[in-house]
Amino acid sequence: MAITLFAMLTLMFFMFRLLPGDPTMTVVNATLSPEAQAAMKAQFGLDKPLLEQYLVYVANYARFDFGFSFQTSRSVAEMIEGRLLNTMVLIFPSLITAYVLGALIGAGLAWRRGGRSEVAIVFVATAFQAAPVFWVGMLAILFFSINLDLFPVGHIVTPGTVPESTWKMYFTTDFLHHLALPFLVHTAYQICFPLLLMRSSMLGTIGEDFIELARMKGLREVRILFRHAMRNSLLPLATTIPMILGWAVAGSVVIETVFSWPGLGLLMIEGVERSDFPVVQASFFMIAVLTVFGTFAADLLYGILDPRIVYD
Amino acid sequence: MSKSSTRASKRTDRPGTVEMDPSVVLSVRDLSVNFVTKRGIETALQNVSLDVPRGANLGLVGESGCGKSTFLKAAIGVLAPNAIVPSGRVIHAGVDLLAADPEEARQVRWRDISMITQSALNALDPVHRVGDQIVEAVRAHSKVSRKAAREQAKEMLSIVGVDPNRIDEFPHQFSGGMRQRAIIAMALMLRPELVLADEPTTSLDVIVQDQIFRRVRELQDELGFSMLLVTHDLGLVIENCARIAVMYSGQIVEEGQTSDVVSAPFHPYTLGLKNSLPRLDRDIEPISIHGGPPDPAVQHHGCRFVYRCPFAVDACHTVVPELRPVASGHKAACHRVEDVPGLREKAAQYETWSP
Amino acid sequence: MELVKTFFATVWQTNTGRISLILFGVCCVLAILGPYIAPHAPLERNYDAAKKLIQLSPPTWDHWLGTTLLGRDVLSQILWGARSALIVGVVTALGVVAIGVNIGLISGYLGGRVDTILMRITDIFLGLPFLPFIIVVLAISGRSTTTIILAMMIVMWRSTARVIRAQVLSLKEMQFVAAARVTGASDFVILYREIAPNILPLALVNIAFALAWAIITEASIGFLGYGDPNAVSWGSIIYSAFASQMMYRAPWWVVPPGIAVMVLVSSVYFIGRAYEQVVNPRLKTH
Repeated sequence: MAITLFAMLTLMFFMFRLLPGDPTMTVVNATLSPEAQAAMKAQFGLDKPLLEQYLVYVANYARFDFGFSFQTSRSVAEMIEGRLLNTMVLIFPSLITAYVLGALIGAGLAWRRGGRSEVAIVFVATAFQAAPVFWVGMLAILFFSINLDLFPVGHIVTPGTVPESTWKMYFTTDFLHHLALPFLVHTAYQICFPLLLMRSSMLGTIGEDFIELARMKGLREVRILFRHAMRNSLLPLATTIPMILGWAVAGSVVIETVFSWPGLGLLMIEGVERSDFPVVQASFFMIAVLTVFGTFAADLLYGILDPRIVYD
Repeated sequence: MSKSSTRASKRTDRPGTVEMDPSVVLSVRDLSVNFVTKRGIETALQNVSLDVPRGANLGLVGESGCGKSTFLKAAIGVLAPNAIVPSGRVIHAGVDLLAADPEEARQVRWRDISMITQSALNALDPVHRVGDQIVEAVRAHSKVSRKAAREQAKEMLSIVGVDPNRIDEFPHQFSGGMRQRAIIAMALMLRPELVLADEPTTSLDVIVQDQIFRRVRELQDELGFSMLLVTHDLGLVIENCARIAVMYSGQIVEEGQTSDVVSAPFHPYTLGLKNSLPRLDRDIEPISIHGGPPDPAVQHHGCRFVYRCPFAVDACHTVVPELRPVASGHKAACHRVEDVPGLREKAAQYETWSP
Repeated sequence: MELVKTFFATVWQTNTGRISLILFGVCCVLAILGPYIAPHAPLERNYDAAKKLIQLSPPTWDHWLGTTLLGRDVLSQILWGARSALIVGVVTALGVVAIGVNIGLISGYLGGRVDTILMRITDIFLGLPFLPFIIVVLAISGRSTTTIILAMMIVMWRSTARVIRAQVLSLKEMQFVAAARVTGASDFVILYREIAPNILPLALVNIAFALAWAIITEASIGFLGYGDPNAVSWGSIIYSAFASQMMYRAPWWVVPPGIAVMVLVSSVYFIGRAYEQVVNPRLKTH
């Protein structure tokens, strides 16, 4: 995992410098006067050889020292802090809910085969996967917020309110009220895949010999369903979690835009708009870190679920 | 060997049940099973009647696909959802299991009738420990604590020849032979009266097979259960079973004492089966029956063996032969049973069976 | 090519597959003919008889899907957008699978150090968040269709590579490979003449899903405002709607492009599922 992050840092370093444009613009604010720019370049050691710059960069990032925003001159690390939590609070719970609910429904569909509801649900789930999440979000806002006035139109708290502290904010009703719609939209979007996958997986497992043996042993249906059928069917599902998690975190950019949710994704977009490269680099990096951590945790989870895997 | 600890309250006589011969542990009457498939309705079993004697073994032989496994599954009550049972009764302890209510049938399963399946890796759930799966079977039928059940499981594992300290391992860590022993241990945990065995040693080498059956015979002496052994291996039946039934294409074509049936078979198919046994005392090649079993999706008139039978006559194409007694305790379903004694010598010759 | 025919024949067997193939075909036709049958130029502002801008007009006979804030005809934009979606989607999908299949084949077959290195590289790319990466690339290199396609390919090949590699690993152990080796075939020949044909069905399924994914991603990129400014794409229609802040008053502007994406992508998904269902009949819904 560390290697991956390290490689990522290196990749980013070169990415930002090899692409067309003056590479020093990633560190030095282009709006400053030429003399000020020259002074900054000297200060940041941009006249030093590339290798040295690289080492300084890596060292800084390892300490989460992301430099200062061109726009606000605030420490980027400070800006990231709050945003990081906002993204996590939205993406992770909704993804977990989607997986759990999706797995249960998918398993239920497979266990009780037949019936028109199965055909309908499979159809709807497949079609819904095709709907872009931002579009669904916009329609949801249109319907639930504007027409029905059930939820606010975006943002994380009512604009103007100043929370006691970042932590306390997550426990206010105002926050929950604002979280509701993006949470629902994201969950609805993410539920289709685990549902369909669990269903296929279960359909395969149900035909296995050990399920038949479990029946012969006279076990209760419920026990067979959960302890044997679902438990085994979870494995393919678990292998997909790392990938889906990566996409969800990366896709946070889009959801946060629709709902004006102040998270990492939105921060990055805002940074790009303003050519505020330190912000862009740092938020990109943090999104990547989040992805890598999530992937790693998901891989561990699979190791726990499948006793045939042995980790050295 | 304590019989009391795992035995749940044994069912005693119940009112309104079927009369049963006490020397029979399972009585199957007139069982027919069809399957609904894409190709139409397939007939798996047709009017099968069999009695499994108490305290003795019955061997059921036949080719792959003749319906033996379906028979076992019907007996223990785990037929697939696309199965139709147009007729039949499976009577145990005076109760027809097919007509009984599902919860009652569930309780009988494993406690009174258990099954030893083939020991593919998938017979045991790969994500749970072997010990847990055995304990689970015990606790589904009796109010024993997990600890006590575990102790019993360890005891049984060592009886069948598995190191009880390996109780917490996973199925993939056991060898094929060990898995089969574990499955046998699991089948015997509740001291059932009848153990169904579905090709229990097909995937194992002959030495292991021999060891396992030796052990099973010893256990039978100690615990006193009957076994219904389903196999395509006639030799295994000769070694282990007092009675034999021969199944062909979903029907019983011959049954009786093993010694009688094997020494003097009456049905041409049985004659053919006997020929396929390799003999160590004589220098002859085993003779096989050419062709294959009839298509279960197609309706047949007359005897189902007619296209492969070297002794078929006109009646065989149109009239279904009934299972009738040909000697004491020996039945066969063939129109030519009177002629068969004379044909036996011919049946032992290679040319008779060539297409 | 036999496989491709089999693929279509297989999908044609099911009802959903049939409808989806037709729908997909219609979209392709629209992509080609769209610009010719569109009633108005997509980016042109429309004025009425009194020379007033027809802004935010609900659907009328002149403008079946209404107009945008700038007086542009929504229907024409949708028709033009099909081209962008399909071109980007198909090119990306083919490129992704081509790269992914080759890397998967080589990595899985050769094993050892080559495999470890290639898989490490794949892991690194897997850690790259796809949308942020594409946005950054576009921001720095400029927004053009080519850049979009390339950026998407860089980010997407990794999952195909992993999946193909897994299958190659199991195929590698099979008899026919050993047989080929015994006859003295070189590694290259074994790989491409023996193993490759066996992974083609999997590759085909991957193309379908890569296509679906590419179209959605292209729409997302457009939605964030990073679409090619010279092309009309469904995502960028939604972007204009969103950016104008007027979208909530003009559902006819917002709903159609999303539906367009949904129809195209779900037809691809259903085609993929139909193929899966026939190959694995247990999945069939009765």
